[in-house]
Amino acid sequence: MKDQTARDSVEIEITGLSKVFGQGAAAFSALSDIDLTIRTGEFFTLLGPSGCGKTTLLRVIAGFEQPSTGSLRINGREVAGKGPNARPVNTVFQNYALFPHMSVADNIGFGLKMLGKPRAEVAATTADMLRLVKMEEMAERKPAQISGGQQQRVALARALAPRPRVLLLDEPLSALDLKLRKEMQGELKRLQAETGITFIFVTHDQEEALTMSDRVAVMSAGRILQLGSPHEIYHAPRERFVADFIGDTNFMELPVARLEKGGAFVTLPGGSETRAELPEGLTPVIGEKVTVVIRPEQVQMAPPDAAEMTGTVESATFFGTDTHVHLRLSDGQGFILRRQNSARTEEPAPGAVMGLKLSPGALRVLRD
Amino acid sequence: MAEQRESHLWKWLLCTPALLVLVLAASGPLFIVLAYSFLTPGTMGGVRWEFSTEGWFRVFLQRDIFDPDEVRWNQAHLTIFWRSISLSLQTTIICAVLGFPTAWFIATRPPHRRALWLFLITIPFWTNLLIRTFAIQELIRNNGTINTLLMRTGIIDSPIQMMFTDFAVLLGMAYVFMPLMVLPLYAAMDKLDFRLVEAGYDLYASRIKVLWYVILPLVKPGFIAGSILVFIPSIGAYVTPRVLGGGRTMMLGNLIALQFGQGRNWPLGAALAVVMLVIVVTTLVLYLRWANREGGQVRV
Repeated sequence: MKDQTARDSVEIEITGLSKVFGQGAAAFSALSDIDLTIRTGEFFTLLGPSGCGKTTLLRVIAGFEQPSTGSLRINGREVAGKGPNARPVNTVFQNYALFPHMSVADNIGFGLKMLGKPRAEVAATTADMLRLVKMEEMAERKPAQISGGQQQRVALARALAPRPRVLLLDEPLSALDLKLRKEMQGELKRLQAETGITFIFVTHDQEEALTMSDRVAVMSAGRILQLGSPHEIYHAPRERFVADFIGDTNFMELPVARLEKGGAFVTLPGGSETRAELPEGLTPVIGEKVTVVIRPEQVQMAPPDAAEMTGTVESATFFGTDTHVHLRLSDGQGFILRRQNSARTEEPAPGAVMGLKLSPGALRVLRD
Repeated sequence: MAEQRESHLWKWLLCTPALLVLVLAASGPLFIVLAYSFLTPGTMGGVRWEFSTEGWFRVFLQRDIFDPDEVRWNQAHLTIFWRSISLSLQTTIICAVLGFPTAWFIATRPPHRRALWLFLITIPFWTNLLIRTFAIQELIRNNGTINTLLMRTGIIDSPIQMMFTDFAVLLGMAYVFMPLMVLPLYAAMDKLDFRLVEAGYDLYASRIKVLWYVILPLVKPGFIAGSILVFIPSIGAYVTPRVLGGGRTMMLGNLIALQFGQGRNWPLGAALAVVMLVIVVTTLVLYLRWANREGGQVRV
């Protein structure tokens, strides 16, 4: 995890924010009760499936939508009710939205020109920005004459040129092919490090969110379900939705045997008891079933006599570095195990019975 | 090879109806008009097949009634040319200025409502132009609706003279040709990506600046098409200036009609018609050059 003491000054503060579209019976609540603090210089990601409200939240921060209730402060100043041109925030649009009638250079200089900067300053900053995104050669081209990846760079340069306090990125990489997307992910991290501007990044791609962000907010149905570092989000999901949305996960319904400080002992299929971490503030009832979760790579194969539980192999899929083994546990629940491969490991045969050992601390109880 | 030649022949055969229409309906009459402008007027109208440049002479010049050797500019004709060009330009500008917000209003309605608004714009086309023009006359004549209302409410004591003025002609033409501006403007706005407008706002442009730097350049093709569609029929307008302008604010269309009617001078009428064509083509070429001066992608 990153050291967060250096980045404790608050850039954006959202309290009690909601957004309702339409009226009466047709009213649709796109955002409800959002409380969110984003720190200066942070790479912050809003992650969720389409329709979860992440883009609406971004548009509210940008000023394209006004919140129905609540307050939104940028750098300590209340901006709810202000238009996008009165906020120190710029957006990189999903489809780039470059002005088709202007050259690349004019697109990049547009913001500064609108701010009334002197011509020489606009030209100098535009040249800097062209260099920053490596587009010097293309300055006089029209957007239609450059490739998608290049348009992406120009859109970034255009949004960065006025030196906003916050840069909003609305799924900016979704239109690019895989190779270019990987390249631009690195490019974005570099630009963020070089400029020190707070980035708020919207995506539905969990891998993108995990690799790029300092902190991630997982959203669903207009709410923020969990907020934390990629590490926390991945390893300590609090809700089923978060665990399910990010990565492959095993869910098991298991009865609680006894409680301990900060954890609960659950009875695994086969009878052995093991400790599962409890989320804060949750006290399950002994004897009742809870949902526990464990990542497929946190389970190891073991000889059946040393194992905590056993499963029958249904199928195995070879991925090169690892193999995904689909198992059926003794109580009938499905289970996936991800085994790291080496040249000597043999592929498990369907029908074989396999012993399983769980990594200590990897099993977690979910708040359902 | 033979097969190729045959298919070539087929292509020409398939084009024949279109070519026939073009030759008979478009170029043919134009050539007849051009030919008539170099003939001698017949006594009861029509032409005598004798070559003469008198028609062309009288387009711009006139002889003194008492001394045929003294030649002067034909002031009346020049005034009419200028009035036609000026009123048509003004009509185009009025249509553009009023048509833009109208088209914008329609283009920003929810998609299922736009059809209704477009339908309302086209309703005036449903009835005869002459009838609509008389309706405007009813509004603006000295004891018409507007003057009566103003006098009843005591705002004015005597009627305002609106009929038979340039104002009346402008009002009538702007009303008649407005849909020809609104429809292409709407088509251009319909294609406008509103995210570009948002991008403009996001980059600190005020509403006016977004309009000027983003919206107007992007809907320019609509303005160009609309201006051409309004300007061309304005130059040749006949009914509107005839009914609302009377004899005092005659335009080119009326002058031409006069030569073919009471004037019984078909060669002069034909020459005037050619002049009108030249005015339209020249204006169009100049306008398109000006509109595309920045190497824009507009092709009309």
